[in-house]
Amino acid sequence: MAKTLDASPDQLQKITHGQETRVAARKKRLRAVKRWGWRIAGYVFFLLLWDVASGTLMSDRLLVPPAGVAREIGEIFQSGDLWMHLSSTLQKIGIGFTLAFFLGTTIGLLTQSRWWEAFFKDWVTSTMTTPGLVYALVVGVIFGFSPIGPIVAIVFASFSYVTVNVAEGIRALPKDLIDMSKAFRVSPGSRLRNVIFPHLAPYLFTGVRYGFSIAWKVTVLTEVFASNKGIGFIMRVEFQLFSMAGLLAWISIFFILMLFLEKGILQFIEQRFFRWRQEVKLA
Amino acid sequence: MADIRVEHLHKEFGTGVEKVVALDDVNLDVSGHVFVSVVGPSGCGKSTLLNVLTGIENPTRGKVEITHEGRDAFPGYVFQSPRLLPWRSVMDNLIFVHKDRSKETRERCRRYLGMVGLEDRGSKYPGELSGGMQQRVGIARAFSTEPDVLFMDEPFSHLDAITARSLRRELHDMWKATKKTVLFVTHDVGEAVELSNRIVVFAKGGTIKDDITVDLPFPRDPADQDVAIAKADVLRKFEELDLIAT
Repeated sequence: MAKTLDASPDQLQKITHGQETRVAARKKRLRAVKRWGWRIAGYVFFLLLWDVASGTLMSDRLLVPPAGVAREIGEIFQSGDLWMHLSSTLQKIGIGFTLAFFLGTTIGLLTQSRWWEAFFKDWVTSTMTTPGLVYALVVGVIFGFSPIGPIVAIVFASFSYVTVNVAEGIRALPKDLIDMSKAFRVSPGSRLRNVIFPHLAPYLFTGVRYGFSIAWKVTVLTEVFASNKGIGFIMRVEFQLFSMAGLLAWISIFFILMLFLEKGILQFIEQRFFRWRQEVKLA
Repeated sequence: MADIRVEHLHKEFGTGVEKVVALDDVNLDVSGHVFVSVVGPSGCGKSTLLNVLTGIENPTRGKVEITHEGRDAFPGYVFQSPRLLPWRSVMDNLIFVHKDRSKETRERCRRYLGMVGLEDRGSKYPGELSGGMQQRVGIARAFSTEPDVLFMDEPFSHLDAITARSLRRELHDMWKATKKTVLFVTHDVGEAVELSNRIVVFAKGGTIKDDITVDLPFPRDPADQDVAIAKADVLRKFEELDLIAT
């Protein structure tokens, strides 16, 4: 107390400000812990539900209990099949979505001209609304078991999500900020780095997120019909063997992988890129 | 300091029936360490004049020359809204308008942030500051480039009266200390009288109607009698020119 009284008004303000920041940080941490608690509770609840349902609502051969599926996952891990199928699927998605990203961005940039927009518009819309199953069937017939099939399907199914978002981002370019940088004679390169790209980043991000999730679905679907490798292929094999444990195990692996990509990678990038938004929200 | 020469400047937007004349045969000469206000009703082409002067817009006809000792003058600009990059820190917003990120540049940016009283906010994002503080950053940004000429477009019109008043004082001090040529657009006659040596009056249709010299010592207190009288004089001229809508 005596120490506080000795402080000048300026110092006093700093002290209280420091305390406020600490209190806010502690509250934030508590909220995060609480959220994790609920999230874990959700997992426990649904796993329990699954466990109870298996054997009571349904035969445990049709709905294999979590423990059985876990055992199966362990076996898949040990057999070495996991990496072969996973890498095959990931490779196709990696190549296919990279192509889709560049194609989508290019078309998005082109559609700023009204002529190119007229040229592409209906194609973008129709590729976006065509069900993934249609691509899977068509490339299956044309390319057979070749890995080119899924890649082509990915490009067709997902580029439009990037296109639409890029186009929207460019339509919303911050003219006032661009004028400002022109008035200050900022070079075009610096303008691109400091104004246009940071503005487009969230749009690109949304495009990638949607496009990527579509790419996953189409890849797996294509593999179910026409492939001899990959997660979709192995799911079909398990289906033909009526192996529910295997099917559920692969679904679980797929689920864990998606979760890792979403939480581990996409969210990490997002947090790095958009830190300014969080700081502003906290203020 | 800079010399601004505007000759027979004409600016139109659109064509045919949608044609709008924003500036009509504008002639203006400004030079030296002066503070010139451009006053007029909304939509009379004041902002367009600044946009043409800074090169954001091209003139339809006529000539614009802004020189400093024979070469092209380097302009600074303070906008109506702060126009800061929301994804860059305050300090980086200042550095952004500089050609380099050298130590001298950083030092200079820090100094001008200090002049507007924000030396300890350099690492904040604009969204974390109040509207008045953001506008201060905009002013510091313009001054930090040490421009030959400073263009200001109603920079205080979005702020509350108290903040605007203290910023006007800061602006005056900075103008005096840095000896800039300032062209200041406003629709607030009181503000123009308080800050400027000269008031250029615009009317609808984008023409200059009057050019008034305000010969009062600085600093000017709006509550001061002479300042109040000068303001009343300018307003009376507005009425004579039929600028005030009835």
